[in-house]
Amino acid sequence: MESGIDLQGSVIEILGGFGIPAGLAKVIWMPVPMLLMLVAATVGVLVSVWLERKISAAAQQRVGPEFAGPLGTLQPVADGLKLLFKEDIIPTRADPWLFTLGPAIVVIPVFLSYLIVPFGQNLVITDLSIGAFLWIALSSITPIGLLMSGYSSNNKYALIGGLRAAAQSISYEIPLALSVLAIVLMSNSLSTIDIVNQQADYGILSWNLWRQPVGFVIFWVAALAETERLPFDLPEAEEELVAGYQTEYTGMKFALFYLGSYVNLVLSALFVSIFYLGGWTLPIPVETLTQWLGVNEFSPAVQVITGSLGITMVLLKTYLFVFLAILLRWTTPRVRIDQLLDLGWKFLLPVSLANLLITAALKLAFPVAFGG
Amino acid sequence: MKFLKQVGDYAKDSFQAAKFIGQGLAVTFDHMGRRPVTVQYPYEKLIPSERYRGRIHFEFDKCISCEVCVRVCPINLPVVDWEFNKEQKKKKLNHYSIDFGVCIFCGNCVEYCPTNCLSMTEEYELSAYDRHELNYDSVALGRLPEKVTLDPMVQPIRELAYLPKGVTEPHDLPKGSQRAGRHPEDILEELEQEKAKRQKASADSENN
Repeated sequence: MESGIDLQGSVIEILGGFGIPAGLAKVIWMPVPMLLMLVAATVGVLVSVWLERKISAAAQQRVGPEFAGPLGTLQPVADGLKLLFKEDIIPTRADPWLFTLGPAIVVIPVFLSYLIVPFGQNLVITDLSIGAFLWIALSSITPIGLLMSGYSSNNKYALIGGLRAAAQSISYEIPLALSVLAIVLMSNSLSTIDIVNQQADYGILSWNLWRQPVGFVIFWVAALAETERLPFDLPEAEEELVAGYQTEYTGMKFALFYLGSYVNLVLSALFVSIFYLGGWTLPIPVETLTQWLGVNEFSPAVQVITGSLGITMVLLKTYLFVFLAILLRWTTPRVRIDQLLDLGWKFLLPVSLANLLITAALKLAFPVAFGG
Repeated sequence: MKFLKQVGDYAKDSFQAAKFIGQGLAVTFDHMGRRPVTVQYPYEKLIPSERYRGRIHFEFDKCISCEVCVRVCPINLPVVDWEFNKEQKKKKLNHYSIDFGVCIFCGNCVEYCPTNCLSMTEEYELSAYDRHELNYDSVALGRLPEKVTLDPMVQPIRELAYLPKGVTEPHDLPKGSQRAGRHPEDILEELEQEKAKRQKASADSENN
């Protein structure tokens, strides 16, 4: 069944009506979703920065930002502007090239990962058949950037912070990949669209969360560690290191790290909702809903409504996890580096391996329920 | 079997850790629904308590230059500049100063001042760009601070001691609500009424 809105198809058709050939129309269309995605990612960051500040204030019975814009909603914009106008300093005897490239290498893969984030059946930039793999591959570029910026800063704290960041990212990459593999095994596809569609049949009951509870927890913990959120924010531990690999960074370069970490958080939450909570699908399947209401599922108005409902669902699920991450930040104390590595290598790795093997076994034993 | 026990213990530990994190999350989640206790400082100010020890006030004319304040001060801080007036046979005060950058606001000088020319105010906003500005001379010491309750720019907020019993949130108190306990004048009135009643009773018994 091919449901959902095909924006690309309709735009090409409309442009074709003006006498523009299909190839050119596609070229005209292509930058639109990319720009849209870039804007969406940035707005997502602004929203989550605002949420972080407001929720942490609420959890501590403070007020939080409230003067910049209504309810302080312009605060993240103000923060960004401030960072934009700050002086850009490169420390003496630092390696200027690595120092400048570092933040870019941290940020670019994160933004690239948005290529495969689906907000609906056709609301995705590219439906890659290796989508999940691409994300895993892209997210393992980040430690290189962290290491580069830590090493090139000509500062011992930054160097140690960079090493710790790289160690942490690498340790948590493996359980993350293994739990994604279990999902992939059940969906018979690496494409994010297929992974969601496979969870769409019975609404909330067919979400991967119920079939992969252990994988879900491992994924979320590993994703938190990947994004350096609080129980695992060792690379920048304020008390032990000054601020980790970003000690020497100011202005826009620091802002890139900051932006990158928040984009990464939103991205991880997006992937949790796509892999485990059925992405854009509603808790009750759309077909059932349309049957109940007695409307034609394929009529344009219903399509637009279900499409926007889908986007809302994705955002709702995503920001639920962003909220959880913020709440976790104000609940849990920071772990020590040895505890962090212990958790990654001695607990998450074997458990996720066992989870993968059990998923494979279940897939063979109950092909109906586990996507045989 | 020992290995199995180890595995079992480890699993138990993991579950317990998860449970504790859940409990912690419940606590922080609960806090989200509570009202902020923030005092929005430049616009709202707490009314200092009755015996707040703020900046010291000094009345030049009352001072007899006895230097008791200097003697009781832990660090001999007040600077009393006087000379002896031979005609009057009295000390004449020229200048008096206290450096609030060094003062610990213990209030000993106020306590021991024989003529009560020293007193404590409720002023606490003593920040300055230069710490030498905190060295107050007799003129600066003679200024009275503006009361928080009389400042039209400021919303006075009552602190915990001034709130009714069981209330911790001063922001949306109904008007006229009083602090916990009774006012001294009410107690006095009650006592006097009781006394009058007793006198009346005794007078009645004498008559009978």
